[in-house]
Amino acid sequence: MPSPRLLRAISRHAQDQPDRTALVSAGRRVSYAELERLTARAAAELDGAAFGSVRALCVPAHKSAETVALLLAAWRRGINTLVPSPALGAAALSTLTAQAHGPLTAVAVPGGGVTLSREETDPALADGFSAPDPEESLLTLTTSGSTGVPKLVPVRVEAFDRFADWATAKFGLDGDTRALSFSPLNFDLALLDVWTVLEAGGTVVLADAGASGDAGYLRDLTQANGVTLVQGVPLLHRLLAADDARYPAVRTVVFTGEAVSEQGLRDTFAACPAARFHNVFGCTETNDSFVLDIDPDAYAHPLSIGDPIEGTDAVLLIEGAGGTEVLEGPGTGELLVHTPFQTCGYLEQARNAQAFMPDPRGGGAMFYRTGDLVHRDADGRHFLQGRADFQVKVRGVRTNTLEVETVLGAHPDVVEAAVVALPCPEAGTRLHAEVVRRDGTSLSSLGLRAYAAKHLPRHAVPSSVGLAGTPLPKTPTGKPDRKSILSTRLNGVSS
Amino acid sequence: MSTAFNDPIRAYIVREFLAGEDAEDLTDDFDLIESTVVNSLGLVRLISWISETYRIPVDDIPLEPAAYRTLADIRDFVGKAAPAAPATV
Repeated sequence: MPSPRLLRAISRHAQDQPDRTALVSAGRRVSYAELERLTARAAAELDGAAFGSVRALCVPAHKSAETVALLLAAWRRGINTLVPSPALGAAALSTLTAQAHGPLTAVAVPGGGVTLSREETDPALADGFSAPDPEESLLTLTTSGSTGVPKLVPVRVEAFDRFADWATAKFGLDGDTRALSFSPLNFDLALLDVWTVLEAGGTVVLADAGASGDAGYLRDLTQANGVTLVQGVPLLHRLLAADDARYPAVRTVVFTGEAVSEQGLRDTFAACPAARFHNVFGCTETNDSFVLDIDPDAYAHPLSIGDPIEGTDAVLLIEGAGGTEVLEGPGTGELLVHTPFQTCGYLEQARNAQAFMPDPRGGGAMFYRTGDLVHRDADGRHFLQGRADFQVKVRGVRTNTLEVETVLGAHPDVVEAAVVALPCPEAGTRLHAEVVRRDGTSLSSLGLRAYAAKHLPRHAVPSSVGLAGTPLPKTPTGKPDRKSILSTRLNGVSS
Repeated sequence: MSTAFNDPIRAYIVREFLAGEDAEDLTDDFDLIESTVVNSLGLVRLISWISETYRIPVDDIPLEPAAYRTLADIRDFVGKAAPAAPATV
């Protein structure tokens, strides 16, 4: 998201502090001067490619210093980059590239340089998709789509600048910041832990994508590089806190993506004794919208999502007698937000009418329908209840599978839990839980059911439980891959 | 209480309500109702099975869940209502 301002800042760092480390990647330190050289080389190769005027370029998000340099080079040339996951299948990638009006793909070569390729795609695939405008946006992110082809979300230049301003002030980023970049480069989290940190002149420690589940690797990487900023899903913080590891250098811990368990919180407090702790809430379309500062000595679990970030407007929408209406006072509804950081809309125009709507109280501001169910209590605090689409009916009773997961996850012997709804001839839908128990504990599925029955209404107690000693399958964001669990159960394959 | 008499009820519960799960913890005093292992729909199936297996008229079978709270409760009831061994399992 990069913006012209970001590019100017990085060039300035290359002049003012050429020997300072910009990136740590695969055991290599890349100074700001070297990042500048890599960027210039990539830019020259883009210039030399005989593809004519290029406005959009697909850059698979291989996690490397060279990819960072290639992205900077493309932005310097006024090119919008589509940054898909490198793990995306060829068919989905081809469709995405066509939808983004960009037949060109550039892959960074280790050591510097770029491999460019042009793919002929069916132009009809781009029907109904806006062409990204590099004047407005230099980066197009992708979000997971339910159809298998991700949605294309352009990040506006000025939205990035506003986000960088907020994040820099909020988390105290400067040239001494050393951030661990755990998530893939195609995630919105990179806007903070890669791009904003580089703008501030700090150091970005790129965790190898292939080793991201390896607690020992992450611990060594974080400790050896004196990381000061750690942002990620609860899984990351759990991996870092494993084996009572300690990180005295960490100053800022940011939880995001999913609700963190109370045990996870306590472990992280202990692991990072000198840190401030925050929970940020948001999505790719709006970037962060709520933030909670967590005081280890005075917090209440479950955590609220905190307060709207300055400039963010949030409303809860409910089904009233005369259709949807804005909830006043306490209650639960779908969260709609307007943030200073939000996208100008999906490239796929038809999606925007469903996902965005004008301020339901009147006024012109566009609000994003998050699909998140949020409860507001009498004190005005907001709590995430789950996704609107995590609602299932079990024996006619509306049940939120995410809440069930939270309850199971609170059992002291449970490492993680995922709950899926299975078709049932009697009940219509029944709940199945896949649970990973802590090593060395004797938790049984009956014991877990008895626990669940104490803490949940009867309809919400899973009617079957699978206990595993190995981690649950994960999505690329580190969340439990519920679709994969569901499909394993439905296809009768024992997991 | 002989194992031969004990096993069919336990086996039925495990087969019907705990398929594929570890049942080591299923002790005689484990609360089947409270833990929702046997829910209201399951209770209907359980009563029907007891009636067929032990040839006890449904009219003679109490319908309240308390009578089936644990394996021991079920065994007590079946032992009183059907002194003969089950015909088939």
